[in-house]
Amino acid sequence: MQQVAYHRAASEGAALALAAAHPGAAFIAGGTDLLQLFKQGPAAPAQLIDISRLPLDRIEPRSDASADAIRIGALARLADVARHPEVRRGWPALAQAIEASASPQVRNLATVGGNLLQRTRCGYFRSPDLPCNKRQPGSGCAARTGENRLHAIFGTSPHCAATHASDLAVALLALDASVHVRRHDAAHTLPIAELFRLPGDTPQSDNALGPGELIVAVEVPVGTESRRSCYLKVRDRASFEFTVVSVAVALQIEGDVIRSARLAAGGVGTVPWRLAASEAALAGARAEPAAFAAAAAHAADGAQPLSQNGFKIELLRRAVRRALELAR
Amino acid sequence: MTMVEDRSPRRYEAALKVTGAARYEGEIRTAGMLHAALVTAPLPSARVLGIDTAQARALAGCVDVLTHENALRIPPAAFLTLCQEPVVHFAGQPVALVLAETLETARAAAASVEVRYAPTPAITALEQARATAFAPRTAGLTATDSRRGEPEAALAAAAVSLDRRYTTPTHNHLAIEPQVVLADWDGSELTVHTPSQAVFAHRTGLAKCLGLDVARVRVISSYLGGGFGSKGGAWFPCLALACLAAKQLGQPVRLELTRAQMFTLVGRRQETVQRLQIGAARDGRLAALVHDTVAQTSTYGEYADPVATPTRMMYACPNVATTHRLVRVAAPQPNPVRAPGEGPGSFALESALDELAYELDLDPIELRRRNFADRDQHAGLPWSSNGLLECYRVGAEAFGWARRPRTPGTLSDGRHRLGWGMAAACYPAYRIASQAAVGISKDGRVKVRCGTQDMGSGTYTVLAQLAAEALGVPYASVDVALGDTLLPEGPYSGGSMATASFTPAVEEAARRLRSDLIARAVADPRSPLHGQQPDQVSVADGVMRAGNRSESLADLLARVAPQGLEATAAAAPEAKPAKSFFGFGAVFAEVRVDPELGEVRVARLTGAYATGRILNPLLARSQFVGGLIWGIGMALHEKTVMDANLGRIVNDNLADYLIPVHADMPRFDIHMLTEDEPHLGSGGVKGIGMLGTCGTAAAIANAVFHATGRRIRDLPIRLEQLL
Repeated sequence: MQQVAYHRAASEGAALALAAAHPGAAFIAGGTDLLQLFKQGPAAPAQLIDISRLPLDRIEPRSDASADAIRIGALARLADVARHPEVRRGWPALAQAIEASASPQVRNLATVGGNLLQRTRCGYFRSPDLPCNKRQPGSGCAARTGENRLHAIFGTSPHCAATHASDLAVALLALDASVHVRRHDAAHTLPIAELFRLPGDTPQSDNALGPGELIVAVEVPVGTESRRSCYLKVRDRASFEFTVVSVAVALQIEGDVIRSARLAAGGVGTVPWRLAASEAALAGARAEPAAFAAAAAHAADGAQPLSQNGFKIELLRRAVRRALELAR
Repeated sequence: MTMVEDRSPRRYEAALKVTGAARYEGEIRTAGMLHAALVTAPLPSARVLGIDTAQARALAGCVDVLTHENALRIPPAAFLTLCQEPVVHFAGQPVALVLAETLETARAAAASVEVRYAPTPAITALEQARATAFAPRTAGLTATDSRRGEPEAALAAAAVSLDRRYTTPTHNHLAIEPQVVLADWDGSELTVHTPSQAVFAHRTGLAKCLGLDVARVRVISSYLGGGFGSKGGAWFPCLALACLAAKQLGQPVRLELTRAQMFTLVGRRQETVQRLQIGAARDGRLAALVHDTVAQTSTYGEYADPVATPTRMMYACPNVATTHRLVRVAAPQPNPVRAPGEGPGSFALESALDELAYELDLDPIELRRRNFADRDQHAGLPWSSNGLLECYRVGAEAFGWARRPRTPGTLSDGRHRLGWGMAAACYPAYRIASQAAVGISKDGRVKVRCGTQDMGSGTYTVLAQLAAEALGVPYASVDVALGDTLLPEGPYSGGSMATASFTPAVEEAARRLRSDLIARAVADPRSPLHGQQPDQVSVADGVMRAGNRSESLADLLARVAPQGLEATAAAAPEAKPAKSFFGFGAVFAEVRVDPELGEVRVARLTGAYATGRILNPLLARSQFVGGLIWGIGMALHEKTVMDANLGRIVNDNLADYLIPVHADMPRFDIHMLTEDEPHLGSGGVKGIGMLGTCGTAAAIANAVFHATGRRIRDLPIRLEQLL
C-alpha cells in the first residue's frame, strides 16, 4: 500500500498554498472517483489535500450588468444542485444530467468540481496493468484494437479513444458554462469547452488546469435557452450506469422559429462534444420535426468509429432528434 | 394442486444478520495470523522463467513468499494445483503467495515480486479454434451426446423447419461476499474458516492435498454471503493454497480474494454457441430437435454445462439428437453458475420454440401444450409429477396472456413499444445422501445438527421449521447448527438439492425423537401419560397429550433424561429411480422497448412454478425472485468481456460488469403451485434455487421480438441490436 500524506485545508488560501508547495498533490472532496483510482492504480498522489470542508459549496443565482447567471460552488454536492429549485426552473438540463448520474449515494457525496475532473471509465485505463497511454504513457492503446464498444467516435487520436464520463459536463457545455479557476497567486475564468483537452499525443492529461490550480465554481448563464433545455441519456441499464450516448440541448425559440440552439453530446467524444453542425442546421429553422431530423442527420458528421462502436453514429442522430423533441 | 399460503416462519438468523451479530467467516481473526496476497500472471499463457522475491522479502513485515520453487508439494489432483509448476494457463493465475503481518504489507510485497515470463502461444477466444472442438466425458451430470429416432431424416421431411444459432456469453458468479479463508494450523490439526458450499467435500479435498487424515481437518462455514456455484470446487485451488501455506509456515493464514480476482479464480459460466434445428408438423407437433453446443473450457480442465437437458426431455418429440463440445481457451476454468446448462440451453430452446410459434402462427403456449410430454422423453420414465400445464394456465391467467395480440409491434405506450413473451422452465430435482440429528434438552430446547450450509437462502430457517413441525414444538424453541464438519454429514449446497436432500433425514430424526419421547412417557409411572397407547399420544407446542392427560417434553426430560436426548437419521436417493424428477415452471415477461434508442427494460415478470412441497413460501418467493433477477441479468446485462488480443478480462469490477440494479427490476408476480409428491422420497421437496433463472432470458428475448419484430439470438441484448 502506498503511503499518502493527508492535509486538511483550513481555508481556500491554505489549500492553494499547500497545492503550490506540493507539486503533484491531489485535491480530494467527495472522493467518489479518486478513491477508486487509488485502489485501481491510475492515481497515486503522494499528497492529498482535503478541501471538503471549505465553504465553496454555495449555489447562488446572481445578476450583473451583462447577464443573469447561477454560480455553483465547486464543492456543491451533486444532489444539492439537482434539487435546488432555481436550478430546476432555470437550467432543467443540469438537474436532469445530475439525476441521470451515478446513484443517490454517490450524488450525495460527489461534488461539481470533482465530477468535471473525473477520469475516464475506459476498462483499460481502470485496470492496473493493461496497456493504456492515459494511465501509462507509451504503453499503447489496447482499446483501439480491442474492446471499444463504449469508446469515442470524436476527438480520438492514435494514442487514446477513451470517452469523458461526466453527464454534468455535457449539460454545462450545452448551457455555455464557464469555470472559475484559482491558484495561490492568480485566478482566471475559462469557457467550459476549454477546460477539457483532446488526447492528442499526451492523453495522460485530461484538462487544462495547471499545477496547483483548483476549480472553485462554475457559472451558468440563464435565459430562454437554458430554461428550454433538457438532457437525454441512453444507457445499458436503468440506473447507476455511465452513458452509451447522451445529448444536452438548449433551445431559444421565438414564436415557432429557433433563434439559436446549443447541443452537446456525451459518450461519443474524448471530451464533452459540441454538435456544431446540428446547431447550425437549427438556427433560424422552424421548431418542428423536419428541422429536428435535418439537424440530427448532421450530428455525427466527422465521426471516426472504431471496430465496435459504429452504432453510436446512428444512435447519436436518433438521440439528438429525441432530445430536440423533448426540449421543444 | 393448490396454491401455497403464506404462514411462513420468519428467517431464523434475521436478527443476527441485521444487528451484525452473525459472524461471517471473513470476520474471524486469530492471534498470530498472517495475511496472504496473491501474485498473479498478466499473460494468458506462459512459462515462468524466474521469480525474484528479494525485494518483497526485504519489506518489513513480509514473512515469506511461496512459489513453485519452495511451496510444499500437493499430490497430483483433478484441480489446478497452484504454485506447483512454472506454467501459466490463464491471465490472473496465481504464481506466488506472499505472507505478511498485515494485509497492506502483503499486497505491497506482492506488487514487488518480479516474475519473468516467456509467453507461449494462446487461443484467447472460442471462435479462434472452433475446429479443435472435442467431446467432453460428460455434460454436467448427463451424457455428452444423445440420440433417439432419426433426427436428420425427420428434419428433412418436416413441414416446417428452423435452423438457428444462439450465443450466450461468459458470466461470473460475483457473490457480494468474496471468497476468504482463515486456515488455522496448530501443528497437528487444521481448522478452516471459509464460506463453503460444501464443507465435507472441502474437508476431504484438503485432507488429501495436505496428506492429513480427515479427522484432523475441520471446515467451518456458518454463513455465506452468496455462492451461486463459486464457493465449492471452484474455490478449492486458492483455498488449498492458503491451507498449504498455513501448514508450511506453522501459522494461521488469512487469504481474501479481491473483486477482480473473483473474475478469474473461482470459476465462470462458460460461453456457448448453440445451433438448434427444429422440424415440426403444420399443427405444431415436433418432429425433430437437434441441439449442438460448443462451449469454452480451460487449457487444463474440462467442464461442460448440461445445456441440452431441456431439449432432450421436456417436449414430446420422437427424433432428437444433442451434442456438447468444448474448445480449449487460455482463460479461467468454467464451472456451474446458477442454473448451469439449463439456463443457457433454455434460452436457445425456448427462443426457437417462439420462432416456431410465429412461423406456424400459433400461440406460444398452445404450441407448448401440443408438445407436452407425458413422460421424460430422454430417460423414458414417467414423471414423478409434472405441473407444466397448470403453470401455463396459472401464469397466463395472472399475466393476462389472453389479451396478447399475436402480431409483433402492436402494443405501445407513448414512445415505447411493449412486448409480451413467455417461456417454459425446468430443472432436475436432484438429491444426495444426508444425515441429520435432532436433539432436545431438559429445558425443552430443540437442536438440529446437520453439516450442510446456508447460502443465505434460508437453510437455517427450514431446518428449524422441519424439526419443529415433525417433533411438535414451537419454531422459536429450535436451534440449528450447520456449516461444520463436526456435525453429521449433510448435503453440499448446489444443484438446488440441499433442501430436498436433508429434509427426509431431519424429518426422520425428529420422528424418531418424538417416538422415543412418547415411549419414555407412556412407560414412566410418574408421567401423567403412563400406560397410554403411544399412537394415541400427540405432540404439539412442546406438550404431549392423550385424551385429557398431558405432559410437557421438558418435564419428561427433566425426569427421565436430564442429559437430553438425540436421534439421528440418514436418507439417500434410490439407486435406480422408477420416475423422473423435475421441477417445472412458466415465465411471462413484459418489456418496454424504446424503438428509436434501443433501450429495453423489463416491466413485468410473472412466474408460475410447480415444485412439489414448498416449505416456506416467504423464502421460496425470495428464491424465485432471485432466480428471475439472474434471468434479467442474463437477458440484458451480464457479460464478462475478454480482450482477445491480450487474453485479459477488461470489466473485472461491478461498475463495468453490469448486473440488474433496483431500477431494472420489475414487479415480480410469483405463483407457487404445490404438488403432491409421493415418489420423490425427499419429503416431497423439489429444489427451487435454479428454476427461476431457467427460461427467463428467453421469455424476455421473446417479449423483445413481440415488441419490435427483432429476434435477438445473442445475449446480452444490447441496444445496438435494436437500432
